[in-house]
Amino acid sequence: MVSGIKGTFGVLAAIFWKGMKHYVRYPGSLLIYLMLPFLFTMMILGMGSFIGGGNAVFNFAARTGSSNVLVYEMLGGAVWMTSWVVVEDVGVALRDEQMKGTLEQNFLAPVSRFTLLVGISLTDIAITTVIFLVVVGTTLAFTMPGAYLGFFQAFLMLLIGLIPLFGLGFFFSGFVIKFKEPYIFTQMVNLIFGTLTGTYYPVTILPYWVQFLSGVLPQTYVISNMRQIILANQSLVNLYGSIFILLALAVVYPTFGYLVFKKLEKDASVTGELSKY
Amino acid sequence: MLLVNFPSIEGCRRLSEEFKAAFMKDFRSYIRYPAWLIGDLVSTPLWYFFFAVGVTLFAPTTQTSEYHGSSFFFFGFIFIVLFSTIIWGVGQSVRNEQMAGTLEQFFLAPANRLTLIMGRWARIFVTDLLVIGYTAVLFRLFGGGPLPLYEPALFAFALGLFEVGSVGFGVLFAGLTMKLKSYTTLSNLIFFGYMILTGALVPVNVIPLPYRYVCLVIPFTYFIDLMRHAALLTPTILPESLEYLTGIIVAVIMFLVGLITFNWIEQDARVRGSIATN
Repeated sequence: MVSGIKGTFGVLAAIFWKGMKHYVRYPGSLLIYLMLPFLFTMMILGMGSFIGGGNAVFNFAARTGSSNVLVYEMLGGAVWMTSWVVVEDVGVALRDEQMKGTLEQNFLAPVSRFTLLVGISLTDIAITTVIFLVVVGTTLAFTMPGAYLGFFQAFLMLLIGLIPLFGLGFFFSGFVIKFKEPYIFTQMVNLIFGTLTGTYYPVTILPYWVQFLSGVLPQTYVISNMRQIILANQSLVNLYGSIFILLALAVVYPTFGYLVFKKLEKDASVTGELSKY
Repeated sequence: MLLVNFPSIEGCRRLSEEFKAAFMKDFRSYIRYPAWLIGDLVSTPLWYFFFAVGVTLFAPTTQTSEYHGSSFFFFGFIFIVLFSTIIWGVGQSVRNEQMAGTLEQFFLAPANRLTLIMGRWARIFVTDLLVIGYTAVLFRLFGGGPLPLYEPALFAFALGLFEVGSVGFGVLFAGLTMKLKSYTTLSNLIFFGYMILTGALVPVNVIPLPYRYVCLVIPFTYFIDLMRHAALLTPTILPESLEYLTGIIVAVIMFLVGLITFNWIEQDARVRGSIATN
């Protein structure tokens, strides 16, 4: 088993570059991730303008507290897309290996499962950073060019939020190996995330029981805090309460996700599910 | 090969048997994986809910009698579901067989290509109706407001035009999958282009002018406009009778172009030996 800092870093770097090569080889998927927040926001704005008419922005501001519709929606869209990437990549990565017939080689390599999963996640840190820089950076450059300090804090918010998200990715990864059918599953999960975390609306307009579910998802805090930072001039210090919750989730989700992954992987190796697709 | 045996009674009987077999084959595949049904029943209403709540933020705080946003939007959702069938159902049918390694058997079978593809279309169309009906019930249960259908016969006719044109488009797309292997990116781009530029979710007259010209040359814009007109009595883009005539002509042209292109691509793929390449 590869051990030691140098060995582990070597493995992580190898997995990271493998993931990056996939994105470079198939640039269409990254292009879609970059375009979707703009497309979804355009659709929401178009439909909203039609329904609200001349008072659309006023109605929006009355419900959300912000009249900067574009930035409000793009922040939600960008965070949703980062969670989409993590679910699609970390959650489905091992299933893809299974489909290609290379999962056994990966699992037989002298590398711990945790290192394998973290390596896959590292690629996603790079990809989500690109998404954030392009989607949010472009939007702010055109609408709020002076908000670079808020932009930087929002990016830190995203990085904190990625840790629990990777934990969810570990969970899905084991789940997908066990139950197969990853694409239907990931589509449902992505939609549930988009709906529950307030991607295009504040979660406070959802029913109370739904808000409870929103409260256990890290993206809810990331989206809300980013909007507070950029649109309401709050700082990370002022938002310590929700950052504390995010840090707690950053401990709970990876631990929980990895335990579930190990359990499902063990079950699959006993029943021979690993080689089935 | 595409239109083989069609004019005779025996040919028609054979076509109907092929169609039934293709439908049952796809239906059996579908029910073999319950996750697909669960996915359809959960994901489709969630897509609707996801956008509907977002759009509600812009709505007037006091609802007026002129406000038909929810039903307008619900019909937009129906148009999107129907189109997704064409892109990911009909269009992807050939690609699915290719990936499963069964495309050669599919093409070697003494059956009409179109019938086989239509069998898949029919199964997905039935599933779509189920999902649309189920979402409509949820819509009503959650207080979404009335869902009028003022001219059901005209709506069915316009839906028929939409389907004829769409199947042509889907068959053309199915042919393209034999040439283009990076299918997902193209299908996503077309799908989002459809949602934005055909007036599925917003009336064409609120789309900014330079883009509106693009909307007006997309055939789906007229099918959608006719269906919405029949359902909600919204004004049509062209004079009504002219728009129906345009819809009929365009639907037939799309259908024929789809068939001819598919046939041409298949012949080309046979010559090049690229049918099974994935």
